[in-house]
Amino acid sequence: MIPRTPHARVVAVAAAVTSGALALAACSSAPETPSTGEATPSTINLLGPEDPATFAPLIEGFEGSHEGYSVEYTQVPFDQLNSTLQQRLGAEDSTIDVYTVDQPRVAQLAAQGYLVDLTDLADEAQEVMSPTMYDVNVIDEQMWAASIWDSTQLMFYNVDALAAAGVEPPSSDPSERWTWEQTVAAAEQVQAAGETEWGLILEQIEYYYQLQPLMASLGGGSGITGEDALTPDITNDAWVEAMTWYGDLFADGLAPRGVGSFETSPIFADGESAFFVGGPWDVGVFSESETNWAVAPMPYFDGGEQVTPTGSWSWGINPASQNQAAALLFLEYATLNPEGNLLSTEATTIIPANAEAAAAYLPQLEELAGDRSAGVADLITYELENTALARPLTVGYVQFEEVMNTAFADIRNGSDPAERLAEATTQLEDAWSQLR
Amino acid sequence: MSRRRTRLPLTILAAAVGILCAIPLLWVLTNSLRPGAETFGTISPLSWETFLTLTPNVDNYAALAGTSLGRGILNSIIVSVATVAVGLVICAMAAFALAALPFRGRSAVFSVIVLSFLIPFDAIAIPLADVFRTWNLQNTFTGLILPGLGNGMAVFLLRQFFLAVPEDLAEAARLDGLGWWGIFSRIYAPLARPAMIGAALMLFLFQWQAYVWPLLIGTDSEHILGPVALANMQGQFSVDYGLMFAGAVVLIAVPLVIILTLQRYFIQSVTTSGLK
Amino acid sequence: MTSTIAGRTRKVRRGYGRVALAFLAPAIVVLVLVRLVPAASALYGSLTRSSLLTGDTRFVGWENYAELLGNPDFRGAVGVTVLFTLIINPLQVAIAFALAVLFTRRLAGVRWWRSLVILPIAVPPAVSAVVWNVIYRPDDGLANAVLSVLGLPPQPFLTSPDQALAAIIVLLSWVGVGYWMLFLIAGINDVPGELYEAAALDGAGPWRKFFHITLPMCRRPLAFVLVADTVSNLLVFAPVQMLTGGGPEGSTNLLMYDIYTRAYTLGDLGRAQAEVVVLVLLTVVIVAAQFRMLRGDSEGA
Repeated sequence: MIPRTPHARVVAVAAAVTSGALALAACSSAPETPSTGEATPSTINLLGPEDPATFAPLIEGFEGSHEGYSVEYTQVPFDQLNSTLQQRLGAEDSTIDVYTVDQPRVAQLAAQGYLVDLTDLADEAQEVMSPTMYDVNVIDEQMWAASIWDSTQLMFYNVDALAAAGVEPPSSDPSERWTWEQTVAAAEQVQAAGETEWGLILEQIEYYYQLQPLMASLGGGSGITGEDALTPDITNDAWVEAMTWYGDLFADGLAPRGVGSFETSPIFADGESAFFVGGPWDVGVFSESETNWAVAPMPYFDGGEQVTPTGSWSWGINPASQNQAAALLFLEYATLNPEGNLLSTEATTIIPANAEAAAAYLPQLEELAGDRSAGVADLITYELENTALARPLTVGYVQFEEVMNTAFADIRNGSDPAERLAEATTQLEDAWSQLR
Repeated sequence: MSRRRTRLPLTILAAAVGILCAIPLLWVLTNSLRPGAETFGTISPLSWETFLTLTPNVDNYAALAGTSLGRGILNSIIVSVATVAVGLVICAMAAFALAALPFRGRSAVFSVIVLSFLIPFDAIAIPLADVFRTWNLQNTFTGLILPGLGNGMAVFLLRQFFLAVPEDLAEAARLDGLGWWGIFSRIYAPLARPAMIGAALMLFLFQWQAYVWPLLIGTDSEHILGPVALANMQGQFSVDYGLMFAGAVVLIAVPLVIILTLQRYFIQSVTTSGLK
Repeated sequence: MTSTIAGRTRKVRRGYGRVALAFLAPAIVVLVLVRLVPAASALYGSLTRSSLLTGDTRFVGWENYAELLGNPDFRGAVGVTVLFTLIINPLQVAIAFALAVLFTRRLAGVRWWRSLVILPIAVPPAVSAVVWNVIYRPDDGLANAVLSVLGLPPQPFLTSPDQALAAIIVLLSWVGVGYWMLFLIAGINDVPGELYEAAALDGAGPWRKFFHITLPMCRRPLAFVLVADTVSNLLVFAPVQMLTGGGPEGSTNLLMYDIYTRAYTLGDLGRAQAEVVVLVLLTVVIVAAQFRMLRGDSEGA
């Protein structure tokens, strides 16, 4: 429902790793990687934001193949996950063994000493994961977590509405990817024909995860720069241009105000939007709707770069855990073992991070909505390999996300983009000054 | 005369205010009986179907069975009832001392109690959670109940009512050989029954609505509370309003029954209860 | 007050001290443990700064406070909080009192209507936020659907810096007015009926009865409701967090929400604790002013 405070399910680019972050990570006293050889049958406590049903198949699979071990899962509400983790890890709470890590927060958690060094698994992880899914967990050649899931964004469109308005639908072929300009024009045409109330809706309508590619497509960068990745760069021309385009979506009535991120999908499911940019999970969500839809690649700006969001959750081990060897055994099973990793997506629609598991999973996803989801598997595979752009890797990501999401919300409601971004710059400088 | 002339408009006003307050909840109730996907379909344009449905179905309620809400509500009841039972005695005793027993430093103690409820608990709970964890109170009912026991606002409320109790009563009881505990429990507490119920309501609601603290101190599946379980029901990638509203209706029902049962006693005047 | 007992000798007074201590001890222990000790820890924390990354804590004196005073977001939050306090408390107390008077009249079905007004008390903050979020949606929300039936233009509500705070105040009043009304009804019912009968014999009309009997006789419950309402409104943050995130443009950035974000999201504990201290001081000033205002001859208030 409501309070989706900034969270994120996305990645970070290893290239952005900076000496500053590394130095900070190095001074934290992280314990050494445990060894699974020392594991003894015991109960492993797992903490995450998902419904318990999500991990039931995975836990069953693990307990079945590892005699004597059991996994106890605790769910924390999604919107409170990061703050809860900060408090409980900070207090060296030993009732958490394995926990869900928002991938852009790996840098900070590692620097704080809240993650066990998993570098011993690095070679194997590199082998079974895509480069992005490996890199997000690695800082200065040390691996701190293991990716469990991945994500991307697709553009869903209302087939019948487009046809009725006489709009030629977009192709699902990435080489014929539409531009945002083209999409807006088509959306306006469908709206003008009275086919849908709204033209173009971005699912995570106020969140950096989904808006980062707008700026990146225009060459505006991630918004973070500097030696230590703690210098804001959000007032350049590309940012202002992208944010002006974004603000106009709402000013011009293509997209609604007052509907929060993740509350948007019912609008498309009800047939009330021509275009909708959302995640692979929407294939599952929309499979239950009566709307006739199809997928196309996420657009880019004319003359700009083709980029899509990526990233999701990783799992890490709590240094205060008294049960690290067994925790590692479970973490390995859930991420590196293709069988286990595939079980983690059995009860949900998200992409497994393990490449082998993903290859087995995507055809199932494509079948989920029958003809409507035709082409989903190839498209996702293409985007993950070619256009995926991770979120910046910085120890100040938490503050960045909070400040930016508030700024996006204001711009959406009509604030002047240039002025609001300048204000956000001041806020970021202030927040980051506290980190050092 | 004038009374008759004003009665009808006042009745209409009372009804209108009541209905206006209830409309949002009627809407929640109706939508808990509809599939989540239909929540927004009936809002605009406004019609009777916005607030009522001819085809109610209980699928959403059936789906609640698969969640931890039932356990959460049971735990919330345990925590809230324990808090009221113990907290009411603690708060009433303190209020009695502050109202009926003159002693040196009384105003200072009263100031401290007032100050204690001016401090935003949610904002200062971080260090307390650390302390509780060192005492191994994480994932225990004790850890959940303790912060609700002392409620400065309830002490304040009770003291206000105790001050209204005539001192002659206490004097007379003293002369009859009644001890302080007897004066408190046999005279003051029954006389202030409305305030006692009001204070019980405060203690109850504090725990029933607790959200930040349970997350800080830790709520495993055996100690999960209602609001946390409700928040857990939101899907990560989409919102099922039907399911959520069904959960909300269940979560609202418990305190509602309690409040509606108690309100009669709460607002009953001391005079009519024949104690004064 | 308590003049008869207070007039005793010092010896007896010491005796009361021991009895009083026995009665106060459990409450004092709990309050000190779960409120005052963490508060003292926050007070100390407000003078320190911890690096989120290295965990090192150092003493910085007044630096956090000085930085806050220079911070436009914080100053904005103080302004919003003061404005909010000045509007919402008189408004809620006045409406709650008016409703209390209304619902203590003998009217047809009055107990039913009163119960409906009390309903929202039972709604957890998270649920009321979801419901009102839907009510306030600018395009397909309930409120605008109602306005359009009345022939009025649609309003932006939470998406406008001019209306968002008012929208939050309406939501909080929906939840709060029935609650405070209960306390005031209890107070009104406590007014001896003979007073009204005597006034009626003197030919007093309903307004005179209200101003000369009801209002003065309810001073004590009114004092309690005003103070308690003020304090609870100063601690509001859940609806802000769920509906506006402090926006648009900081127009709903109440201090308590600013504190919550700073402490739990940004991890800036030192300054968040300094903000807590500022909030508590602000509350003390407001409540002290209310006590003074209400003192008059009702010594309890």
